Amino acid sequence: MPQKANRRGGPKKDGLLTAAPFLLPSLLGLLVFSLLPLLVSALISFTDWNGLDQLLAPGFLQEHFIGLENYKNILSGAELWKVLGNTGAYIIMYIPLMLAASLLEAYLLSSTRRGVSAFRVVYYLPVLTSWVAASLIWTSVLSPQYGAMNNLLALFGIQGPGWLLDEKWAMAAIVLVSVWKDAGFFGLILLSGMVGINKSYYEAASLDGAGTWKKFWRITVPLMSPAIFYVLIVALINAFQLFPQVMIMTDGGPNSATQVMVERIYRYGFRYFRMGYAAAFSWILFVIIMACTAIQMKAQKRWVNYDA
Amino acid sequence: MKKHLSAILASALALVLLMSACGPAASDPTKSPDNPDPKPSQQQDTPPADQPVTITYSNYNASGGNEETLQKMYEAFHEEYPNITVEIETIAYNDYFTQLQTRVSGGTAPDCYELNIENFAAYANKGALAEITGVDFSGLDETSLNAFNVDGKQYGLPGKFSNVVLFYNKDLFDQAKIDYPTADWTQDDLQKAAEAIRALGDDIYGYYQPLTYNEFYKVVAQFGGSLLNADKTEFTINAPENVAAAQMMADRILVSNVQPNEVQMGGIGDWDLFMSGRLGMMPTGIWAFNTFAEGCKFDWDITVEPGKEQKATHFFSDACVINNASDKKEAAATWITWLTSSDKAAAIRIEAGWDLPAIKDQSTLSAYLDITPPANRQAVFDSLNYLVVPPVIEDYSLMSDIIGQKLSAAAAGTLTVQEALDQAQSECQAQISLK
Amino acid sequence: MTLKKRLGTTGYYVVSTVIAVVSMFPFLWMISTSLKSQGAIMSIPIQWIPQEPSGDAYVEVFTKFNFLRTVGNSLFISVSYTVITLLSSAMAAFAFAKVGFCGNDLLLKLYLATMMIPTQVTMIPLFVIMNKLSLINNFGSVILPSIFKPFAVFMLVQQMRAIPEDYLDAARIDGAGIFQVFRKIALPMCLPTLSTLAVTTFMESWNDYLWPLLMLTQREKMTLPIALSTLQGTYNPQYNVLMAGSLVSMVPIIIIYIMAQRNFKNGMMAGGIKG
Repeated sequence: MPQKANRRGGPKKDGLLTAAPFLLPSLLGLLVFSLLPLLVSALISFTDWNGLDQLLAPGFLQEHFIGLENYKNILSGAELWKVLGNTGAYIIMYIPLMLAASLLEAYLLSSTRRGVSAFRVVYYLPVLTSWVAASLIWTSVLSPQYGAMNNLLALFGIQGPGWLLDEKWAMAAIVLVSVWKDAGFFGLILLSGMVGINKSYYEAASLDGAGTWKKFWRITVPLMSPAIFYVLIVALINAFQLFPQVMIMTDGGPNSATQVMVERIYRYGFRYFRMGYAAAFSWILFVIIMACTAIQMKAQKRWVNYDA
Repeated sequence: MKKHLSAILASALALVLLMSACGPAASDPTKSPDNPDPKPSQQQDTPPADQPVTITYSNYNASGGNEETLQKMYEAFHEEYPNITVEIETIAYNDYFTQLQTRVSGGTAPDCYELNIENFAAYANKGALAEITGVDFSGLDETSLNAFNVDGKQYGLPGKFSNVVLFYNKDLFDQAKIDYPTADWTQDDLQKAAEAIRALGDDIYGYYQPLTYNEFYKVVAQFGGSLLNADKTEFTINAPENVAAAQMMADRILVSNVQPNEVQMGGIGDWDLFMSGRLGMMPTGIWAFNTFAEGCKFDWDITVEPGKEQKATHFFSDACVINNASDKKEAAATWITWLTSSDKAAAIRIEAGWDLPAIKDQSTLSAYLDITPPANRQAVFDSLNYLVVPPVIEDYSLMSDIIGQKLSAAAAGTLTVQEALDQAQSECQAQISLK
Repeated sequence: MTLKKRLGTTGYYVVSTVIAVVSMFPFLWMISTSLKSQGAIMSIPIQWIPQEPSGDAYVEVFTKFNFLRTVGNSLFISVSYTVITLLSSAMAAFAFAKVGFCGNDLLLKLYLATMMIPTQVTMIPLFVIMNKLSLINNFGSVILPSIFKPFAVFMLVQQMRAIPEDYLDAARIDGAGIFQVFRKIALPMCLPTLSTLAVTTFMESWNDYLWPLLMLTQREKMTLPIALSTLQGTYNPQYNVLMAGSLVSMVPIIIIYIMAQRNFKNGMMAGGIKG
C-alpha cells in the first residue's frame, strides 16, 4: 500500500507524520460525527427501542436488547424485496438518463460560444431550487388533467399517462423529476473534468480528421473518466438514498409503487415508533450500497484513466 | 507500516469508547434527568409558586396564520400569572413530530407540548407523558377529555376540537332542481342527489369522500361496524358491515362515478374541486370555513353528515401534554389548563376563527354561531351528538397506513373490496400485537 | 464560416436553448405562482401569467418573522459551514492524494463508506452527542459537522490526483515546505473544484432543514428554511407564500453561484496552461 501511495507521488520520506496535521480536523469529525453515531445506531439495530425512551439511559440494553430479531424479521419478510425492487427500478432508469443529461450539459457548457455563461446559470437553476418547492411545482406540472405536461403532449396527439397517480408511471415520474433536478449538479462536476483536458489532444485529433462525435468518445470521455467515475459513485449512493421527492410527491404511493428504502426507514423510525427495526433496515441498506460501491471500485481499474 | 494503521484504529476506538462511556454519565443540570421511569407529577420537583419560572411550550397548530393569536393568548395569561414565562416554539406540522420524537429520546423535550391523536397513545403508553394533576379542568368537554384519558389517568387536555360536516354547493342543487340535504338524510338520499348532480355535466361531480382510513372508520361506524372488537384485543377489519361500508364508498368511484377517481381529480385537492364549483357535496372539517368563505363564488351551506344504520361524525382534537421528564410540571399544568379551558383563551380563539375551544360553556360558544357563512352553523354543534373517536391503539400510525394502502388499491380497482380488507386484516394481525 | 460550422453553431444553440427552457420552465412557474392570489392558483384554465398579480405573498414572507435576523443566522451558519468544509476537506484530500501514508487507501474507503449511511438513522445518536457536548441551541451544532464532509474530500482527492508531481517537486526544489506546497500549488490548482464545492456546500447548508430544526429550537436562532416553513398552515398549503419564500431564499445562492462562475473560467485557463 505505501508503495502505491508513493507511486502516485508524495516524497518518499513523507508519511503519517506529515499527513497528520492535514488529516486531523477531518479525522476528528469522522470519529465524533460519523463513526460514533454509526456505532450507536448499530447497537440500536439489535434492540426493540421505540425511539421515545431515552437513548442509552441506564438499563437501556437490558430492557431493549433482542439480538438479531429485527434482521431476521426484515430478511424473512416480503417488504424488503419489494422495496429493493422499487429502488432498483429507480436506479436503472435514473443513472443512465442522468449521466446522459449531465454529459450533454457539460459538453454544451464547455463550448466557448457566446452566451455560455448565461446557460451555465440557467442549467443550474433546478439544483438551486429546494426539493420542497421543486416537488410541489412538478406535482402540478404532472397533474394528468390540469398539468402542463399532458397539455403539451396533447398538442402532439399523445394521451399522457397519470404520472404520479398511476402505479405504473409513478416511479418513472420520480426519475424524470430527479434527472431534471440533478443533471445540472453532475453536469458541473463533469464540466470541471472536461475543461481540465489538454487542448493539444484535440488539435492532434483534428489533424487526423476526427469529427466532433469521434473526438467526444475517443478523447473527452476517456480523459474525463475520473470525473465520470466520481459522478457514478455519488449518484448511485444518492439514488439508494432517494427520499425527499418521494415523501412530498407520492408519499410511497400509489399502491406502494414508490416505497423505497429510506422512506421505509423514516416511516418505521419516526411514524411507527420502531426505531430498532428502522436501524436494522438502514444497516441492511448500508451493506447493499457498500457492496455496489465495492463493485464499482473494482471495475474502475478497467476504464478509469488517471494519467490525463 | 501496519503498526501505524492499527495505532490509528486503536486510538479511534479508544476515543469512541471514551465518548460513549462519558456520554450517559455526564449530566447537565439544565437538562432533564436521565431517569426513564415514569414519575408521577410531584409538587416538590417544581419551584414554589411565587418563584418566577420559565417553561417551553411547543406546538404546530399556530403555524401558518395563528402565531399572533397564540401570542395574544399568552400575553393574557402572563398578565394573570406574571411569574410564569412561556417560551413558545411554533413549528410547521410536517416535521413537528420528527423533531419532537428526537427531543424526547434525547432528553431535551419541551416542558409541555401539543400532540395529535395519532401520536398521543404511543407517547402516553411509552411513558413520555406526565399525568395531569393538581389543576381544575372541569370546564372542558367530556368527550374530548376522554379521548386523552388512558386507564383512568388524564395525560392530555384537549387544546381545541373540530369536527366534520357535510358541505354542499347550493347552486348545483338548484341547477339539478333537487332539495338541499338535511340532517335526516341517509347515505341513500345522498346517493340519489349525487347522481342528479353528476348528470349536470361531464366534469361535474356529485360527491367526494375519499376511500381513506379516516373516512373509512367513520362510515364503518355509520354501518354499525368497527375495526376492533369491544375490548380492543382483536382486529375486525374485514367484518361484513365493514365490507359493505367500503363497497358503497368504492362503488361511488368505480360504478356510479358520482365521485371522481384519482385521475379524474387530476392531482388537484378536494377543497379546490369544491371551490371551483364543480362538486355537489363533500364531508370535510369545519376548519374549511374561512377558506371557503373567501374562495367560493357560489352559495354554499352545511348540514350534519348523513348516516346509515346510525349517524356518526368525525371528531378531531389535539392534546396539550406535559413532558414526564420536566422539572416544571406545575407551571406547565397551569399554562395548558389556562390555554385550553379559560374563558379568555376561548374568546380569543373564537374571535380569530381558530377552531373551537373544547369547553362546555355554551355562552362563550354562542359568539361562534353568529359568524356566517355558513348560515347553518348550528350543524357544527348538532354533529357533536354523533361523535366517533378513532380506535386509539399504540401502533395507530402503522394500522392506519396498512388499512389506507389497501383501501386505495380498492379505490383504484386493483383489488376487490373484500380482498383489500382481508389483506388489511391479516397484515395488521401479523405486524401489530394488541394488548 | 463554412456551412458545416454554421450548422454546428445552429445545432448548438437549438439544443442548449431547449435544455434551458426545460430547466427554466418550473422556475418561471414558481415566479408566476408566487404572484398569484390564493384563489387564482387553482383556476381553470391555468393562468400562465397572473391576471391580477399581487405581492401579498412576498409581504407575508418579509413581515411574518424577523426577516433580517433570520437571514443573518442563515448567512452566518452557511458561510462558516462552507469555509470549514472547504478547508478541512482540502487538507484531508491533500494528505490522501499528495502526501500518502500507510493505510491511505483503507482510510479513504472508510470515508467513502460513511457516505452510504442514511442520515435518518444516525440522527438520534448524533442529537444525543450534541446534547452531551451542550451544543443544543448553539450554532456550533449545525456548523461543526462540516469538518467532516466525505463527498468533498472524495471529490478533491480526484482533482488533486490529477496535479502532476513535477509541479510539487518544482516547488519543493525552490525550498517550499509542505504547507506552502499545499497553499501555493495544491489549493490554486483545485480552484474549479473548490468553486463548485463552495456553491454546493453553501447551498446544502443554506437549504438544510431537518438538522437545524432539531438543533435550534429557540425562535431567535431560527434559520430561513425553518422560518419559511412556519408560514405553512396545517391544513391548506399556501402555494403562493411557499413559492415566494423559496424564490427569496434562492437569491443568495444564485449570487454566490454567479460569483463562483468566474473561478470556473480561471480554472479553465489553469487547465490550459497545464499542457
